[in-house]
Amino acid sequence: MTFEIRVRGQRQEVEAGDEILLEPTAGTECWRLVVGGRAVPVRVQEREGRLLVTIGADRVEVGVRRALPVPSRRASARNGVDRVEVRAPMPGLVVSIPATIGELVRAGGAVAVVEAMKMQMEVASPTAGCIEEIRVRPGQEVAGGQVLVLVRAPAPKAGEEALP
Amino acid sequence: MPLPCRLLVANRGEIAVRIVRACRDLGIEPVAVYAPVDAGAPHVRLAADALPLPGDSPAEGYLNGPYLVELAQRCGATAIHPGYGFLSENPSFAAACEAAGIAYVGPPASVLEMCGDKAATRAAVASAGVPVLPGSGTVDDAEALSAAEQVGFPLLIKAAGGGGGKGIHLVRSPEDLPAAMRLARGEAQTAFGDPRVYLEKWVERPRHVEVQILADYAGGVIHLGERACSVQRRHQKLIEEAPAPGVSPYLRGALLESAVRVARALGYRNAGTVEFLLDGDAFFFIEVNARLQVEHPVTEMVAGVDIVAAQLAMAGGEPIPFAQEEVRHDGWAIECRISAEDPHGGFLPSLGRIDGVVEPQGPGIRVDSGFRAGCTVSRHYDPLLSKVVAWGRDRAEAIARMRRALAEYAISGVDTTIPFHRWALEQPAFLDGAYDVRLAEEWDGAAPSQEAERLAAAAAAAWLRRKAAASVLVSDGPAARPASRWIAAAREEGLR
Repeated sequence: MTFEIRVRGQRQEVEAGDEILLEPTAGTECWRLVVGGRAVPVRVQEREGRLLVTIGADRVEVGVRRALPVPSRRASARNGVDRVEVRAPMPGLVVSIPATIGELVRAGGAVAVVEAMKMQMEVASPTAGCIEEIRVRPGQEVAGGQVLVLVRAPAPKAGEEALP
Repeated sequence: MPLPCRLLVANRGEIAVRIVRACRDLGIEPVAVYAPVDAGAPHVRLAADALPLPGDSPAEGYLNGPYLVELAQRCGATAIHPGYGFLSENPSFAAACEAAGIAYVGPPASVLEMCGDKAATRAAVASAGVPVLPGSGTVDDAEALSAAEQVGFPLLIKAAGGGGGKGIHLVRSPEDLPAAMRLARGEAQTAFGDPRVYLEKWVERPRHVEVQILADYAGGVIHLGERACSVQRRHQKLIEEAPAPGVSPYLRGALLESAVRVARALGYRNAGTVEFLLDGDAFFFIEVNARLQVEHPVTEMVAGVDIVAAQLAMAGGEPIPFAQEEVRHDGWAIECRISAEDPHGGFLPSLGRIDGVVEPQGPGIRVDSGFRAGCTVSRHYDPLLSKVVAWGRDRAEAIARMRRALAEYAISGVDTTIPFHRWALEQPAFLDGAYDVRLAEEWDGAAPSQEAERLAAAAAAAWLRRKAAASVLVSDGPAARPASRWIAAAREEGLR
């Protein structure tokens, strides 16, 4: 997967492949980053659509708002069509559902807005497709990981990556 | 009087855990007390018994002296250890314990009273022939200017009724004096309930060195060597070490001898700390901390003694458990205070629920900790979470071990001072031991290295990928459902 990442205003594309490994060490924030044969302890905090990454004595603010994860081919179903569940990234309150059933959504397009601790966050569809089902309504409390919306995405043909 | 069978620990957090451990080592039953928010905290879990405290605000219970004495009597405890902070330097609490026939593990009320009056202590110490900084006794507003001119500018206004860095104001010129006096008096009144202030000469780049002393009721006084505590921020210590680097044998001898002389002059009892400022090779007495101190473990590591156990013996009327000659001075120890503060955000307190911890381990590492995963850091208490202590045969080994420990230490859920300590342990001034109280000021400009930015980008990408894997799980009827949990696990592994 390739992600669009901003560090100090500079945009870069980072390929998060198997050579970058993030192993959990403590709680929800502490990890061991294994990259290029090195293992580095890191702490990653999510703050208002940014990530704060602490490495050693340093803290780096990483902008990830427009990051578009391309769904892996492994996530594809075998019968030609995928139903992708878009889940709440954190427990919170559903503020609005910009998506409507039958509407086409692009990868990265907002399907829901969830609020937690007075911060609102857009929940994006990780794949392009058609909104098939909306399982929550505005004003509803949701748990972290709860399915908000189902998106029906065309599965890629063999040997072809899914379109963003 | 023998050691008590049961002891009430009138504190919380890491210091309560420390006292509980000393009790266990000595076969004493430790009884913890806890405010509602601390139910289930390590000091409660490790104690033999635990009693809830009343009060609307969580700090209130730990400050309720009469109730703590009553609890001790009710549970059959014959001694109370106050730890540090809360009631630890409160003469009326010590007196109330004595009156109830409970051994107070600390100096008696009369000594606490004396040490609590900083100006009076200064005068007593000066007449014992130990150098004090040029300064005044307590001054009223009318005599402040003439007293200030005698001391000389720049100078500090300090609260007579308390320490801990509160109520201290720097005054550079006579014009600034009246306003600063008003501020300092107001702060002293709020913090200590005592508006009295005194003046003291300001030293621009001092080092802070203190001496641990023990004194028994038979009049015996010994020292356990010195500690350097110059890594400070807003007059709060962050890193301590023993012995003090950059102190000549001659100066060290003079400091240790002076500390013992101060303890004798004040009629000190139990464990205490005599604090000095070093200006070049000149040294000056500042104050006595009449309690067990946060940084006592560095002394324990190099001296090979248990200071809390010694406190308990002395509180029971026994002599100091060892002679001056038996105290070792072996190797080097460094302590980093881990607080729930955001070093990248002006050291503001960081509140929240700690949801994961990995403590450092391995040779030469000691962690005194008062929290565990699931604990909530609230605004009601001091932000100190734990202390990491590294011991080595020499300073270089202690520093190397501390760096390793700080790299291993992972706390999830709140910001901590760990990144600051990682930085400090790399500073040339710290490494060569020539640092003074201004070292921590350099931190504020710390910008991330290019290497850190590169790794952070990689970490962010990997984090997003994991998150995407967690939220994009496929389901499309029975055909797409994995045949077994093994396949599901393998699929998740592949997405990681």
